[in-house]
Amino acid sequence: MSIGQRVEALDTWSSHPLFEQRTDLCSGNEMAARAAAQINYHLMGYFPITPSTEIAEYLDEMKAHGEHDIVLVPADGEHSAAGICFGAAAAGGRVLNATSAQGFLYMLEQLPVQSGTRLPMVLNLVTRSVSGPLNIHGDHSDLYYALNTGWPILLARTPQAVYDMNLMALRVAEHPDVRLPVIVAYDGFFTSHSKQRVQYFANREAVQWFVGPVRKAEFDLFDRDHPVTVGPYMNEPDYIHNKYQQSLAMYRAGEVFAEVAAAYARISGRYYGALDTYRLEDADIALVILNSAAETSKDAVDALRAQGIRAGVLSFNILRPFPVRAVQEALAHVQVVLVAERADAYGAHGANLTHEVRSALQAVQAQCTVLSRVYGLGGKEFHPADAEALFQICLQAWRGEAVPAFDYYGVIAGDPAVRPPRGLKPLAKEEVSGFVQVTRDEKTGELIVKVPPLRALTAKAKRLAPGHGACPGCGIFPAIETFLKGIEGDVVVLYQTGCAMVTTTGYPYTSHRVTYIHNLFQNGAATLSGVVEMFWERKRRGEIQIGEDPTFIMITGDGGMDIGMGSALGAAMRNHKLIILEYDNEGYMNTGSQLSYSTPIGHMTATSNVGAAQQGKAFHHKDTPQIMAAANIPYVFTGVEAYPQDLIRKAAKAQWYATHEGMAYGKVLTACPLNWKTPDDAGNEVVGLAVKCCFFPLYEVEHGITRITYDPEARGERVPARAWLERMGKSKHLLRPENEALLQAFEAEVERRWRRLKAKHEHELL
Amino acid sequence: MQARLPATNRAGFFEIRMESIGGLGANLAGKMLAEAGVLKLGWNGTFSAAYGSEKKGTPVRASIRFADANHPIRGIYAVDEPHVVAVFHEALLQSQDCTAGLQPGGVLLVNTAKAPTEIVRRTGWRAGKVACVDATAIAVRERTRVNVAMLGALCRVMDGMPPEAVMAVIRETLGRKDAALVERNLRTFRAGYDEVRVEDMAPAAAEESGAATPATADRTTPVLGYRNQPQGGCIPEPGNSVWRDLSASRQGVLPILRLESCIHCAACDQVCPDLCFVWTAREGRNGRVFQFLAGIDYQYCKGCLKCVAACPTDALQAGREEDGYAEAHRTKHPFAFA
Ligand SMILES: Cc1ncc(C[n+]2csc(CCOP(=O)(O)OP(=O)(O)O)c2C)c(N)n1
Ligand code: SF4
Ligand SMILES: [Mg+2]
Repeated sequence: MSIGQRVEALDTWSSHPLFEQRTDLCSGNEMAARAAAQINYHLMGYFPITPSTEIAEYLDEMKAHGEHDIVLVPADGEHSAAGICFGAAAAGGRVLNATSAQGFLYMLEQLPVQSGTRLPMVLNLVTRSVSGPLNIHGDHSDLYYALNTGWPILLARTPQAVYDMNLMALRVAEHPDVRLPVIVAYDGFFTSHSKQRVQYFANREAVQWFVGPVRKAEFDLFDRDHPVTVGPYMNEPDYIHNKYQQSLAMYRAGEVFAEVAAAYARISGRYYGALDTYRLEDADIALVILNSAAETSKDAVDALRAQGIRAGVLSFNILRPFPVRAVQEALAHVQVVLVAERADAYGAHGANLTHEVRSALQAVQAQCTVLSRVYGLGGKEFHPADAEALFQICLQAWRGEAVPAFDYYGVIAGDPAVRPPRGLKPLAKEEVSGFVQVTRDEKTGELIVKVPPLRALTAKAKRLAPGHGACPGCGIFPAIETFLKGIEGDVVVLYQTGCAMVTTTGYPYTSHRVTYIHNLFQNGAATLSGVVEMFWERKRRGEIQIGEDPTFIMITGDGGMDIGMGSALGAAMRNHKLIILEYDNEGYMNTGSQLSYSTPIGHMTATSNVGAAQQGKAFHHKDTPQIMAAANIPYVFTGVEAYPQDLIRKAAKAQWYATHEGMAYGKVLTACPLNWKTPDDAGNEVVGLAVKCCFFPLYEVEHGITRITYDPEARGERVPARAWLERMGKSKHLLRPENEALLQAFEAEVERRWRRLKAKHEHELL
Repeated sequence: MQARLPATNRAGFFEIRMESIGGLGANLAGKMLAEAGVLKLGWNGTFSAAYGSEKKGTPVRASIRFADANHPIRGIYAVDEPHVVAVFHEALLQSQDCTAGLQPGGVLLVNTAKAPTEIVRRTGWRAGKVACVDATAIAVRERTRVNVAMLGALCRVMDGMPPEAVMAVIRETLGRKDAALVERNLRTFRAGYDEVRVEDMAPAAAEESGAATPATADRTTPVLGYRNQPQGGCIPEPGNSVWRDLSASRQGVLPILRLESCIHCAACDQVCPDLCFVWTAREGRNGRVFQFLAGIDYQYCKGCLKCVAACPTDALQAGREEDGYAEAHRTKHPFAFA
């Protein structure tokens, strides 16, 4: 039976008014969020990543309007998100998470910990391709890493199934025989972002009734009379028994799913078997294909059947445990099966599903040819014509023609004479040198910097080329280029994931005129450390002949200094000769404006909404320059494009330190008109106001000595914080009378930090 | 409310494709139209959009598929052979293959002040109806957004789509905010509906000429395959983004430079996010060599006007972008290619 089909025989209770359903047009992410809100989970720990981010966003928006009371905990990275969920699950309540791709891989380490500890929860895996190169679109590469984590995996082909599976997943997870965390996986963009006709329970009570009260676990962390040790150190001969229990629980999850699905059909009229089959009963050829592409393939089946070709499709509603018996029954009579996979198990002659299907059929000695194709990677669309082409391969094999057992579908060779669009001549030395001078006063040890006027600096070549895809008025590039005006000679840059990276390197184009490398934003500082140390070692071995040493610069967003904080501090401790330049636009803008720890209190983002029940972000902004200063690196600074000479001077100093002593770190505040909700032309003025209200003071910490480089108070130019806040759509609600207390809290925090900074400025030892 | 689908293809679908740029609200328009079809008229329907990232000004393509109530719409993939293409921003006619796959007898709807014949001249598409609506002007007039005006026009060109259905959805979607806003948007919708000019370009020739571009053309065919794509995804061509044309990101305004009042202070250059300012070195009056602003390379200008805000004189001013102005007044960066 397939979904959407009403199961009349079971349709016994669905007519009861409690189970009334409403029809709507919704996306998969909306349905995941709706299910979560109706379940009213205790807690969600999360970190944003496309295309799963919307789930947390929708839930935050609903929360701002008082529609549920799930505690939403924004983590500093997925590893932490998984840790938060692990802890929360151990502590006994209902727990939710959602992620994709790198986020999933980053939390992967935690997943077996949780299944081995037998702590149920639900994770929505909105499937997406895995880096590198970075690609945000849908395939199953992340899902395939989930296969061996010990989490039962439910698949949802449509937004409707996303809702239904989310309700069923919780019951499977909490079943006393199972007690495992469960993944619900659905296709990024194809299912997560497309709106389709759906039904859902009009009353949350129906959902509450179905999932029931939280099932008591064997142990309760807060039962003070029965303290329990969770997570011991366990060697042989015990460990294998823990795993055997886990294995049994996993197989049991398959049976429990069947029971839960039957119960769910009774109230919803929608039944989900282990498999979803389409016209397979008498099929000669069949596609085995997961999630949304299975739906597309059904259209191809109809078309082929109209030509008298008996084709069918098999897809999975549950992938772990693998429903081996059902697969055998469904496919044993088929002549040629093609397993089409949106992921590869490189070097394995077919990805995982191929081998699982093949071994299932071999076990019953089915006389069936099993072919394997990798298709649709990185979000490459799958049309009915593609499904037909795959069926054609089956037909060829059936006719006895030689077709490869394993191959990629949908790739082209390309003409070796064709190259990526031609680039620019490398920058000549004199184009980037001889503009800014830094000398060290031998007596005082002070660095003396000479910066020519901006006009003269226009002769210095920019390290970026035009043609990047940032929004109109984006503040990132003026900040980076102003900074680079202070950097002489060759540079090698590393950009962490974020707007600057994404908008400058959309394949096959790059806006970088200098050598550039990307790594994901939790690991850029470590990566650049490796680049730098290899440079020095290869130079020492005489493998690099280079006149002048390049300056190594990492560009990161403020989000990169959340998830990548550990990596940055590690690099600081090792004191590599490199510069970290953080552009702070007060949020995770690349993924659509979620709060970062640098977002000020009360500011509105997609995960800190404003409504009756909530007024923007709940906690104060992170003071990253002070954290980096506490790492005792030689040089720390702040800057903005609105004070160009100040920023250029600091860049020159940073370069001096990063070539002579060790690491320098700087933070520049950059406007994001799109998400700050400011006019495109206002960025320069708005970041200037942030400086003038002392929210973002301009200063440097040189060998531990703090110096304020622009003191708006002393100059009589200080403005109140509201003068800055009122300019941005994301913060102007703070000026409303009902938010007076919040505004005061913000002003007090700004004042406290400013006073402390002044004290440091005045006293060398602070 | 009841209504019949305006037309259906072999698969039983009526299909619409929207071509827009981020920030114009095409997604919201598409969502509202799909909701009108599904929730108000009882059709089956899907809405999906393809976009690269969340940036403003970058191309967005959205697909709406309708079918009869009980006809399944299973696959989610971009509309290839639309009955209607709605172009939210005229500049996209240059930068995108907007009419790809557009069905003979279909409708090409464009947000433009131009006449349909002019659109035919630009696109070469004459296999059906061309509809023009000045959605931008309507939005400026009503202080609303282009998307709702386009929605009005779209509703009109979809023969048989009752406007009341869409207006009900507009009311529900925006009604949460405030009543005045809803009123302005309903007027915007009405204006789009009333003011769209539709001309049948090839009533007789439609059949024989067919679609201007081959149906199911794979517009994304890369020129780089597995034999010529450099290893590891590397791009060994520094700065080759200079080939890109970002003019389509502008929304009707650009900076106008009057060199007479320029003092060459470089304030504009420093704040420009898009590296549009072109400089030359020349001897000044005293015989020394100075940098002089030569002009703006409009190919990269997204019209943010930060330079206008930064200019201490009146050398830079905001202006409405007239047709052909940017091409005629562009100062090209003197790039040296490798
Ligand atoms: C491990 C991991 N988690 C999440 C993401 C998704 N992601 C990419 S960029 C980004 C936000 C970056 O924020 P920030 O560093 O402030 O840069 P911005 O986007 O604001 O320029 C996120 C969350 C990812 N790529 N990898
Ligand atoms: S979202 Fe903000 S930071 Fe990102 S490119 Fe757009 S303006 Fe710049
Ligand atoms: Mg950021």
